[in-house]
Amino acid sequence: MSLTLTCPICGKRNGYEFRYGGEDKGPRPAEEGLSPRSWCEYVHMNKCVAGVQKEWWFHRDGCGTWFTTHRNTLTNLEVEEPEATS
Amino acid sequence: MNRLNNLPTLRINPSEKLTLKYKGRTFQGVSGDTVATALFANGVRVFARSLKYHRPRGLYSLDGECSNTCMEVDGLPNVRTENTLLKDGVTVKEQNVVGSADRDMMGFMDKLDWMMPAGFYYKTLHKPAWVWPLAMKQVRKTAGLGAISPDFRIKGRYDEIYPKADVCVIGGGAAGMSAALAAAESGRRVILLEARPWLGGCFDYRSAPYEDGRPLYERARELATQVRETPNIRVFTQAPVIGVYNNNLITAFQTGGPEDSFTERYIQIRAAGLVVAAGCIERPLLFDNNERPGVMQVGCAHRLARTYGLLPGTQAVFSVGHDLGLEAAIDLFDLGLKISCVADIREDGQNPELLLGLKERKIAFLRGWVATDVEGGKSIKKAHLSTVDGTISKSFECDVLIASAGLTPVTGPVTVAQGKTAYDHHTGYFLVTETPKGMHVAGRMTGLNHCRSIEASGRLAGLQAVADCGLDRAADIDAAEKTLAMLPGPERGAKLVTAPVKGRKTFICFDEDTTIKNIKQAIEMGFDVPELIKRFTSAGTGPGQGGIPGHNLPLYVAKYEALDTKPPKPTTVRAPLTPTLIAAYAGANHDMHKRTPAHHIQKAAGGVFRRIGVWRRARYFSQDFTCREEILNVRNNVGMLDASTLGKFRVHGPDALKALQRVYVSDIAKLKEGRVKYSAMCNDDGCVIDDGVIVKQGENDYYLTTSTARAGATAEWFRYHTRYEGWNFAVVNLTDAMGVVNISGPNARKVLEKVVDADISNEAFPFSGYREFTVAGAVPVRAMRLGFVGELSYELHVGASYMPTLWKIIEEAGKEFGIQPFGVEAQNVLRMEKCHIILGQESEQRTNLLDVGLGFLWDRKKTDAKTVGAAALKQTEGDTGRLTLVGFQMEDSARAPRDGSIIVDNRVRGYVCTARRSFSLNEAVGMALVDSQLSDIGTRLEIFEDECNGQRLYCKVVPKPFYDPEGKRMKM
Ligand SMILES: [Zn+2]
Repeated sequence: MSLTLTCPICGKRNGYEFRYGGEDKGPRPAEEGLSPRSWCEYVHMNKCVAGVQKEWWFHRDGCGTWFTTHRNTLTNLEVEEPEATS
Repeated sequence: MNRLNNLPTLRINPSEKLTLKYKGRTFQGVSGDTVATALFANGVRVFARSLKYHRPRGLYSLDGECSNTCMEVDGLPNVRTENTLLKDGVTVKEQNVVGSADRDMMGFMDKLDWMMPAGFYYKTLHKPAWVWPLAMKQVRKTAGLGAISPDFRIKGRYDEIYPKADVCVIGGGAAGMSAALAAAESGRRVILLEARPWLGGCFDYRSAPYEDGRPLYERARELATQVRETPNIRVFTQAPVIGVYNNNLITAFQTGGPEDSFTERYIQIRAAGLVVAAGCIERPLLFDNNERPGVMQVGCAHRLARTYGLLPGTQAVFSVGHDLGLEAAIDLFDLGLKISCVADIREDGQNPELLLGLKERKIAFLRGWVATDVEGGKSIKKAHLSTVDGTISKSFECDVLIASAGLTPVTGPVTVAQGKTAYDHHTGYFLVTETPKGMHVAGRMTGLNHCRSIEASGRLAGLQAVADCGLDRAADIDAAEKTLAMLPGPERGAKLVTAPVKGRKTFICFDEDTTIKNIKQAIEMGFDVPELIKRFTSAGTGPGQGGIPGHNLPLYVAKYEALDTKPPKPTTVRAPLTPTLIAAYAGANHDMHKRTPAHHIQKAAGGVFRRIGVWRRARYFSQDFTCREEILNVRNNVGMLDASTLGKFRVHGPDALKALQRVYVSDIAKLKEGRVKYSAMCNDDGCVIDDGVIVKQGENDYYLTTSTARAGATAEWFRYHTRYEGWNFAVVNLTDAMGVVNISGPNARKVLEKVVDADISNEAFPFSGYREFTVAGAVPVRAMRLGFVGELSYELHVGASYMPTLWKIIEEAGKEFGIQPFGVEAQNVLRMEKCHIILGQESEQRTNLLDVGLGFLWDRKKTDAKTVGAAALKQTEGDTGRLTLVGFQMEDSARAPRDGSIIVDNRVRGYVCTARRSFSLNEAVGMALVDSQLSDIGTRLEIFEDECNGQRLYCKVVPKPFYDPEGKRMKM
């Protein structure tokens, strides 16, 4: 509820305008030759970082853009300068 | 009781009488009274009995810091009557009593405290094991405050608002008002939240001089007037803060007055800058029987007189630890209270002018003395005092003991937002040492006591909060800092935690009847930190939200453990900081829904509307909810349906096809212009989430429909699954921009032919075709030939504003053929007879594309598209343990099972998705998801229906579809 996110188009807005899109895992893997295990890693497994992570958000009640941002999962605050660890 | 009716500080209107009912009698209060002050004015001194020991409890803080005055008001239990304004005609009842608060049959419990040490229930009632169920019954009977009838329905209107603010100020005292005024100077929007019904804080009731010699209350009113006259300050009174969160999100509740449109409302504010000027409460003085009716805090006694015109008693003893206590003694003496003596914990450090004031009035003053006990039960008769070291003692007759150890800051709004506090040895306060970004503290809670310092700190914090909005106020901030530095700083505070007593009847928490003896027991058992002691003794877990024990508990623990290395640490404060009604959280519960552009027409035609998803849709067109006439008219003649709720999208751009290939399981590249393609979307698990049709309108330009339920999520879905690609395409949601009329039945073509100029013969416009033409020479439509209900059928898509016109044209043209509107339920039966699925009805979260028999839609060759769900579908292909969608026919053709009934043998084997009595077939048929082993044609299935009383229903698996298996009718 208290979360705010900064949409690249609309700026800083209340968190409930957005939908969470998960951790940033990179582009979809190729379908040809994809093992069940790698498919599962890509779709279901998460790093669950306790700290700063890059993640996807959708501005559902706004402009309808998917964007990435860096959020500290411990404070639930967006961070401007991503730390090297993430 | 006579009121002091002419005080300039009064917040009541003595001429406006109100009544309340209590114990079968009608009492009189006045406008501005709280429920508790009205009762007090009528001589009530015992308001409630305590939780565990049923001790009588009276007015203590007048600010809702404990449950002492929690009562039932108009059926609502646990109303904090001391800060609930009296409404005319309310009925007030005591709670937690057997008999009455005055004569409580459970009063003997007070003598049994020796039986109930800290953690009594945890330690005693579990051995032997059979004791607990019995004990639990008894404990439950006596535990808890107040009772609510299961039939109780709360009255009133509950609302919520989200006002916009640049700066929010918590606390409408001198500091908060100064902060608001300073912040408002730069034109920014300021919101000021105050828990009491008026602004003024601790200046409001005091006649002590402000620096120019005027009384403080005049200064408070002057500031309040300035605040009210500043157009960019919005004031909410009776609005206690309940939480402060990240990024300055502030939540509060406001109680409405008689002229307000709400009883209570939730307020949520997001501010760039926040000033917390929540002030101080009094730290309760700990001594034996410190919560007897007649013992009250300084502010309570002072405000009773000054705000409500009620003297707290006739003969008083004061045992205080702060100059406010001396000030109150002098003021109350002048108002007519007799004072036996004023004992001050402090040996020195008092304001000399106040000492002189006491001397002039010949009030006995004891330095370094403290109350140790009071005599009396439902009222007090005598107060025992001793020196702080306990060596010398004296007793005084009195009917009121005004007791307070000093002040302690209200740090809840800071610490809930993860701000930090630390014990300060100079003031004896837990002072705020660290605030989250954009939060500033001001006023008395920073340890200041001088009136000018309080205001100056408010001004500084207000300017800092405006700077958080991005304004450059450096010069002003610098000047405000200098001003504050010139004024008196924080004063030394009293440190005494308990009077020299053993503590068996010294209550550290009133709500939970926790004594300092209990705390000692807990510490001796090894609970060494306040947080654990709180849980074990339940001190601070009651309705007062830790107001009474909040800061005494850590101070007492630190003192008892005598560890200088470990600074005292208060227990964690959590939202809600003030108890609130769940009704206010629930809010107004508006039914927000969408209406199609044909809503009113269908309403006029007798449509019976139901909420379906985000829409209100015409479900029936008669009171016959089997829809027999509607169904047969479609099968035998022609009907029209409002299908405007379908999701409708345009996907266009150079990469539009790539995007479609990604989300649809079929190969969309094969789609030709003028044709309609039916396809489905899966999620990454292969579970089917949507089905609909796609039309190619031109090069790189597609028009598609989705199910009603998926309309809201489709644009998001396209963009999510292409988010890494950087493809150039656009998804335009046309759902609300377009209306859809579906004309179905053997006579559909005859109706449409009358109003279009185009050739719509079966040859020119065949099944699965897509055409664009105009109706009545004016209305441009996109027409598709589909067969969801299994008959010859045209789906006409038009701009929403054309929808009523188109509807009327079709209705008029169809009159000669007997066209009738049909609703969603008739459509549901018609399509079920054809075994056309509705996702969400014939599927659930785990159902994949193959389970529902739509595997033929999936094109396995387009792996380059990385189709969503394709990888998972490949993996599930060989699975044997899945559910499969089957059609079934009931053995009893007159009886269809209810949707959702389960398929059983000796365990659950599936469930009925949709089943109806079919008028077209004269059978009862349906579709079910069953274990794949049960899916063979001819398998007998056993159905367990809710409340079937052991009577199972039986059916057998039959081929799909039930109606027109060759599909000739929709291709006519
Ligand atoms: Zn946006």
